[in-house]
Amino acid sequence: MKRTPLAWKNLTHDKRRLVLATAGIAFAVMLMFQQRGFRHALFDSTVEVVQLIDCDLIVFNTNRFTISNEVRFRRDLLDIAASHSSVEATIPLYMENLAARLRVAEGRARPIRVLMWDLNQDLFDDSSGEINKRKADLNKPGTALMDELSREAYGFDLGTQARFPQFGELSRKQVEVIGRFRLGRDFAHDGTLIMSLENLERYFAYRALDPRSVVDYGIIRLRPEADPQMAVTELRQILGNQVQVMAKQEFVDREINFWSRSTPIGVIFNIGMALGFVVGVIICYQILANDIAEHMSEFATLKAMGYSNRYFIGVVIRQAVYLSLFGFIPGLLLSCGLFWFNSSVTGLLMRLSWDRVALIFGLTLVMCVVSGLLALRKLIQTDPASLF
Amino acid sequence: MIAENLNLEALIARWTPAESDLSINVSGLNHFYGEGETRKQVLYDNNLKIRRGEIVIMTGPSGSGKTTLLTLIGTLRSVQEGNMRVLGNELLGASPATVAELRKKTGFIFQAHNLFESLTAFQNVSMATELVGTSGNESKSRIEATLTRLGLGQRIHYKPRSLSGGQKQRVAVARGIIHRPQLILADEPTAALDAESGREVVTIFQEMARNEDCTIVIVTHDNRILDVADRIVSMVDGQIRTNVLVQRNAVICQILNEFEIFRSLTPQAISQVADKMKLRQYLVGEEIIRQGEMGDEFFVIGSGQVDIEIDGTRVNSLGRGAFFGEVSLIKQQPRNATVRATSNVACFILSKDDFQAVLDSSRSFEEELRNAIFARQ
Repeated sequence: MKRTPLAWKNLTHDKRRLVLATAGIAFAVMLMFQQRGFRHALFDSTVEVVQLIDCDLIVFNTNRFTISNEVRFRRDLLDIAASHSSVEATIPLYMENLAARLRVAEGRARPIRVLMWDLNQDLFDDSSGEINKRKADLNKPGTALMDELSREAYGFDLGTQARFPQFGELSRKQVEVIGRFRLGRDFAHDGTLIMSLENLERYFAYRALDPRSVVDYGIIRLRPEADPQMAVTELRQILGNQVQVMAKQEFVDREINFWSRSTPIGVIFNIGMALGFVVGVIICYQILANDIAEHMSEFATLKAMGYSNRYFIGVVIRQAVYLSLFGFIPGLLLSCGLFWFNSSVTGLLMRLSWDRVALIFGLTLVMCVVSGLLALRKLIQTDPASLF
Repeated sequence: MIAENLNLEALIARWTPAESDLSINVSGLNHFYGEGETRKQVLYDNNLKIRRGEIVIMTGPSGSGKTTLLTLIGTLRSVQEGNMRVLGNELLGASPATVAELRKKTGFIFQAHNLFESLTAFQNVSMATELVGTSGNESKSRIEATLTRLGLGQRIHYKPRSLSGGQKQRVAVARGIIHRPQLILADEPTAALDAESGREVVTIFQEMARNEDCTIVIVTHDNRILDVADRIVSMVDGQIRTNVLVQRNAVICQILNEFEIFRSLTPQAISQVADKMKLRQYLVGEEIIRQGEMGDEFFVIGSGQVDIEIDGTRVNSLGRGAFFGEVSLIKQQPRNATVRATSNVACFILSKDDFQAVLDSSRSFEEELRNAIFARQ
């Protein structure tokens, strides 16, 4: 005979309580998603610019600890790299951040990130095609494309109905924004401009005697037949200690590692997620402990019949799994909505990938099972004799 | 009448069970609640032997320890002092595995029904069969049959919410007996039931005792069901005060009633005598008393034949209903004759003190006895 599904029956018996329980767990799930989402938003947004670059290796100054840290290296090192047999192409990428200040009319000047390179070379995977299309216009001095997700505070209208050109002042010289592209902002950058290399001397002459002689990043594409691992090793030997050579993914990992380990931001979001987890444990514990307490004499009767503690552990774990499923699904749906909302408000990238969903589900499961086992202690210790 | 056809030998065997026939054997049982300063003794040196298939009713005022004793028998508490064998297992220091096995062989019926609100009557009962692993369809039909028999045929798939108190109690009874336990422990199983269903419950108990040798211990104050008891145990202040084999006494009373010498006793007095009487068997040729020895027992022959021999000469032969051994007790003399069984003999025996107590309590009995002795001479 089929076993009576006690866990399911007990859980679904009181519909009102089930709804409350589900809501409580969904709330905890949402909290965790939210915190995790912000944490990822920080990382994703920060490395998004690198992710978009179509390259195999990246060269940068060994002392440059994060993307926005303006420690540069000599361009001739990149020219040396270009002569390596595995290397197909190198693109010197110039980046200005702190000194680049953008303002409109009498508004406040705000720092903005400016990316500059030889536009004849395709830096980005260029899915939008916008940069390629405007290449000719951008070669005109004093023109720029602006990230449509840049902060509104700059004073530019970047919406879908926006009309270009719009004029502003970059580092005290006039700049003509002739169009939009899409990148996204992060915690260090409120917006981004793309300009042709010709503008480097015009706006950022103070970089060096020859402004082009120091570059921020060396972008390297390898020949299809090249062994990336070997190329990295050899280039490191050739280029010496001043610069680091890394595969793209390694660079991305390093950047994320910096934010999560060396800044309090990663820790803060971890704490936030832990709080979500704790809230979930408390809610779940309340529900399960209440359920057990209310049925204590019935459970004790089962114990008197000879049901083992293992059976009760099984019942509670099953209830915990059902609860986590019930709570997770609405929690996930709610989070999707909130992510979309957050993303549109902050311009941060809020992404839900399968591995992130799986992680939160795993945490939800652990949360429910842990609280179930906590709630079970009383039952395990209860003497069935207390029934008579 | 029972008496003529009664197989006394079988009854004696039944009333004096061998160790292996006992399903519960309690000896020197003490129990305490609390620890250290607040430790309080609740059971005092209890002894109780219960044969397989016996129906025992335990009574006593609340707080007398009967429920504690019941939970100790049911392995719901650990035995602290003394010995307790249940279904052949010693419970003092029993392993968890032994306890688990015993619990599966035991059916509990609690005063509170303790049914899961989320499960139907059928499912609640089914929880008991699933544990012992009885097979599907057989188990299903048995659950249905049992519930139907208990008057719940129309409500098999109802949840407790839609059942009355009595109906819930009957579901709990079904759950307690459905897995064919060897021992049923019930605490006020009929308290919430009307006379008819209460009767049905005890009838089922009786059938289980008779057909499956199931031992049944019922704690109850319900005098409507006292008649099913083979034994009534009453407890006061943590001790078993009286432990009466009801049926045995009834049978003995009935036999004694037929005997001339007890005619003068009131039914109550006879019952008291019966209560104190031991039953003993003698094989053919065995000496029951020997001339010249000091006597300390009074005998009534329940069945069989004996010879009276004085100085090696057979002077008389006695049969069913006759008595002997009284002279030596009354006159404080050695036995004046030897009594030898000439067939297998079953005797009712009163000890010297009990015999004296009966004499003291009833003048008419004493007279009856003297007349009988006089007539014999």
